[in-house]
Amino acid sequence: MKYLLRTVLVLAIAAVAAGFACYHFNSAPELHAAARKGDAMAWLRTDFNLSERQFAEIQRLHEAYAPSCEEHCRLVQEAIKTRDELRKSQGADPAATAEADRALQQLRATCESAITVHVQQVAAVMSPEDGKRYLALVLPKIVDFDHQVAPDLTLARKHGH
Amino acid sequence: MNTSRDKLSETLRDWRVKPPSDPGFRAAVWRRIGRQGEATWPAYLRAHTAAWSVAAVLTFGVAGFAGRAIAQARVQADREAMVVSYLVELDPRAQAVLKP
Repeated sequence: MKYLLRTVLVLAIAAVAAGFACYHFNSAPELHAAARKGDAMAWLRTDFNLSERQFAEIQRLHEAYAPSCEEHCRLVQEAIKTRDELRKSQGADPAATAEADRALQQLRATCESAITVHVQQVAAVMSPEDGKRYLALVLPKIVDFDHQVAPDLTLARKHGH
Repeated sequence: MNTSRDKLSETLRDWRVKPPSDPGFRAAVWRRIGRQGEATWPAYLRAHTAAWSVAAVLTFGVAGFAGRAIAQARVQADREAMVVSYLVELDPRAQAVLKP
């Protein structure tokens, strides 16, 4: 009986060690570190195997994109404000409200096009396989962002450019 | 004196032991031999090699699979979180909602 228990114990310890080893070899410490810090650029660098040159080029693309993003952001905010004021006002002209809605949707579509072009430029800097994987990750979320952003906002630790 | 010794000899000569036959005797002997063979841990393992080999393969398989699955789930969750965080930084539509 004591040998049975001893064997079970040794097997259990060895199995836990094997489990940890498999966890370790399938883990991505750099990705987890980037996620803990909320550092999107560190995530890009590690998850898409970027070289120094690729990373620098992507940083340059992001910096070039940032002003247009800010401008689009400002325009969307203004469009939302205009629409909301129209909705709140008594006896608002339905045509004007519809027009404000349409303008906002158009702006959002413009933003979606801009960000899509930007991520395609970023993907082009990566290796073909990594670029394909990157686009497969981000493009569906860009298309669905209006629906996805609200519940996921808590995940974003920092905002801005 | 001689007479009593002759009687004893005669009694001993005629004495026959007839024990009842035990059908489990042979099996009991083998059991005892087997128990002596398991006196050490290696001997126990040798005696149960097949059973413990199967148990070890199954246990290591399950442990390895579980470790891998947990690691992959964590990688997937962190990646999803980073994609959202990244897009929130890039997407003016999200910025417009977030900025005061």
